[in-house]
Amino acid sequence: MQRSLRLKRELQFISTEPPPGISCWQNGGQMDDLRAQIVGGVNTPFEGGVFSLEIKIPERYPFEPPKMRFLTPIYHPNIDTAGRICLDALKLPPKGAWKPSLNISTVLTSIQLLMAEPNPDDPLMADISSEYKYNKQVYVEKAKRWTWKHAMQRNKVVDDAEDFVSVDDLCKGAEVSYKREAVCPAEEAEKSKKPSL
Amino acid sequence: DLTFALAAMENSDSAEQGGSEQSEAQRQRQRDRLNREEAFYQFVNNLSEEDYRLMRDNNLLGTPVGEITEEELLSRLQQIKDGPEQQNANERSEESAGAEGSEEGSNGDTILDWLNSVRRTGNTTRSGHRGNQSWRAVSRTNPNSGDFRFSLEINVNRNITEQQARAEGEPLEGETEPVPGTAVVEQPMETVAAEVEEPAIIVHPEAEPPESPLLIRPPIEQLDLPDPQSPPVEEAVRRGQRRARSRSPEQRRTRARNERSRSPLNHDGVEGPRRARRSTSSQSPHHISEPQMEGSSRTRQHILSRQSTVEYDAQLDSASAEPVNAPQEVENPSDGGAGVETNSSSRRPPTIMLDLQVRRVRPGEYRQRDSIASRTRSRSQTSNNTFLYESERGGFRRTFSRSERAGVRTYVSTIRIPIRRISDAGLSEATSMALQTMIRQIMTGFGELSYFMDSDSDSDSNRGPSQSTEPTELHNTTNSTNTVNSSQESTEPRTAEERQDVASESASVPTVGREGRAGRSPISLEEPGSLPFLRLAHFFLLNDDDDDQPRGLTKEQIDNLSTRNFGENDALKTCSVCITEYAEGNKLRKLPCSHEYHVHCIDRWLSENSTCPICRRAVLVSTRES
Repeated sequence: MQRSLRLKRELQFISTEPPPGISCWQNGGQMDDLRAQIVGGVNTPFEGGVFSLEIKIPERYPFEPPKMRFLTPIYHPNIDTAGRICLDALKLPPKGAWKPSLNISTVLTSIQLLMAEPNPDDPLMADISSEYKYNKQVYVEKAKRWTWKHAMQRNKVVDDAEDFVSVDDLCKGAEVSYKREAVCPAEEAEKSKKPSL
Repeated sequence: DLTFALAAMENSDSAEQGGSEQSEAQRQRQRDRLNREEAFYQFVNNLSEEDYRLMRDNNLLGTPVGEITEEELLSRLQQIKDGPEQQNANERSEESAGAEGSEEGSNGDTILDWLNSVRRTGNTTRSGHRGNQSWRAVSRTNPNSGDFRFSLEINVNRNITEQQARAEGEPLEGETEPVPGTAVVEQPMETVAAEVEEPAIIVHPEAEPPESPLLIRPPIEQLDLPDPQSPPVEEAVRRGQRRARSRSPEQRRTRARNERSRSPLNHDGVEGPRRARRSTSSQSPHHISEPQMEGSSRTRQHILSRQSTVEYDAQLDSASAEPVNAPQEVENPSDGGAGVETNSSSRRPPTIMLDLQVRRVRPGEYRQRDSIASRTRSRSQTSNNTFLYESERGGFRRTFSRSERAGVRTYVSTIRIPIRRISDAGLSEATSMALQTMIRQIMTGFGELSYFMDSDSDSDSNRGPSQSTEPTELHNTTNSTNTVNSSQESTEPRTAEERQDVASESASVPTVGREGRAGRSPISLEEPGSLPFLRLAHFFLLNDDDDDQPRGLTKEQIDNLSTRNFGENDALKTCSVCITEYAEGNKLRKLPCSHEYHVHCIDRWLSENSTCPICRRAVLVSTRES
């Protein structure tokens, strides 16, 4: 109801007192289309990276959660190759935990936390999740490499053909194998429930 | 992927730089919007409690806020205040007239908004004795946008009345009354019977024949039939008034019956014979349809409705393009004798009866029908075209009938389910298999009915144009078909097929060049799927999922939460929903957990959720079932 007023206040707040490692701004004067950046946390595989997110504010905000998505590729059990994030605060109850007293800033902070602390028990990317669980070293390596490839400014421009191919392949591979799982398990379950009537 | 994402980002950057003039305009718009919003905010804060509630309950506050000017809000308030005389006094007194927004005031609303408002404002009145239950939502069609809205009314009456002989044999008696927008299904039931009497689906295509909904389909499909001609608003208002007058008697009866205490369905339990009755009335000047389903909880149904609407919206295009036929529904029905029904029901074991009723006004006759003279006349007429057929399948008896009188065509589908079938599990549990089976039966019946109507509407759509002026050979053809039909009432399945045949023939006749049918290919009887049925099945599958959907509070429940005015010395000074500081005199609502919000902020949240936005504690703990 108070969407744009509230958004205005939120943006003011976020620009005057941004949470550490987080920034957020309007994308081209559109009130409902925001961009955010999250700096990869120290001592995480994402350290040194800057991750961009797209934020769409639904018409019914704050009664519905904002829609957030990573624009920067990230190697993470709860974030799929399309950048979608499996986070309860981004969904409405009872499955999700969104409530109007949350805001963009707090949700971004939650995402920052999720980056540092994946939740492999609610995986969006099953393979990455099991890798994280059982072969963490490999996970960390890969995540670092993705960070380095995609999230570091100096590498964005450099077209390192050889490496690029390999990362690209990785992406493709991931996409092929995860496409079907690219939905939160909860939603999957929901789907499989339907035909059971 | 990667490159794409990067490129996209760069593009957006450059677009940002390049389009500074454009974004200046955007900023201007945004400022305007903010101003409006601020004004709205002021407006709401200054409303008296009564006015606020009035507007909220009528969903006049609108969303999003920024779209509505203060003047508009004021005029809406004025309208709704003036409403009583102009609106149906009946409705208002009757059911707290939940969703009865004034049509003119709601032009910006979407279906979803409306459905939401239904959830908020759906009648929650519980009145009367012996646990009768009713709830109601009313539908509207917005003449400007062609938005579709529907109404639901469910009454569960446990009191036992004797069965009127008219059960199916002449269900058309009272129901065919050409009172616009009225479909009060009155079917007193035999002593031992439980009756869930269902759903009138009322379709009033109002626009003139050419492109208007000539095809009757189940409600879903009607969603895709926005009024093509958008009659002027005044007209709609006038109709509203007419309607108000004309429908009162039935409504009153209904009300009298329902004004007793209601308890949730599950309280009704199975302990005794029960009479569940649903009737629907609609006020829309346009077509209205009302999907109904066996009720568990009110909220649940509302959610369902919303979901399904979304669902159907998505299907609209394809739905309208699909050939509507689905002859397969005819497979099983055994030939039932017409009129056999008439008295039989009173001798049957207790049943739950589900009636699907569809009424339809033939477009060409709408106006004429409105006149009192024609109404009176038609009432005294015997129905000129009635037939029904019956089938028995899996212990469920279903009956279809169609009658036509003075431009109102009534379709009734009745399904009787022996009560013993459900008495074990009872209706107490919404998810019980018994209930699901029952629901499925309803929907199957619905599907059949829609098939029935589809086939019917073919002949009808042929007839439509001929009435409206050009008599053609086609006209004769279809007329004769109808004659055949009425003489063959008892062999309905076959008749329906024949009729489809004829219809498909005529569909290929070039003279039938009306837009309404343009997308329809000649019907092939081989087409295996019953589309309406499948969609309806899906409808219920969706419904099934709703169990874990958020459930909002009823208007009543929300209003029961305490409110107060903000005072300067209060500790918490900011509303967490709008993150705005409270101002002196703001009305706050305090949840049981002691968290407070602006009334209008929290009310909206609670209409769809039941937990505190700060601490997530359930707002209703024990009061849920009260």
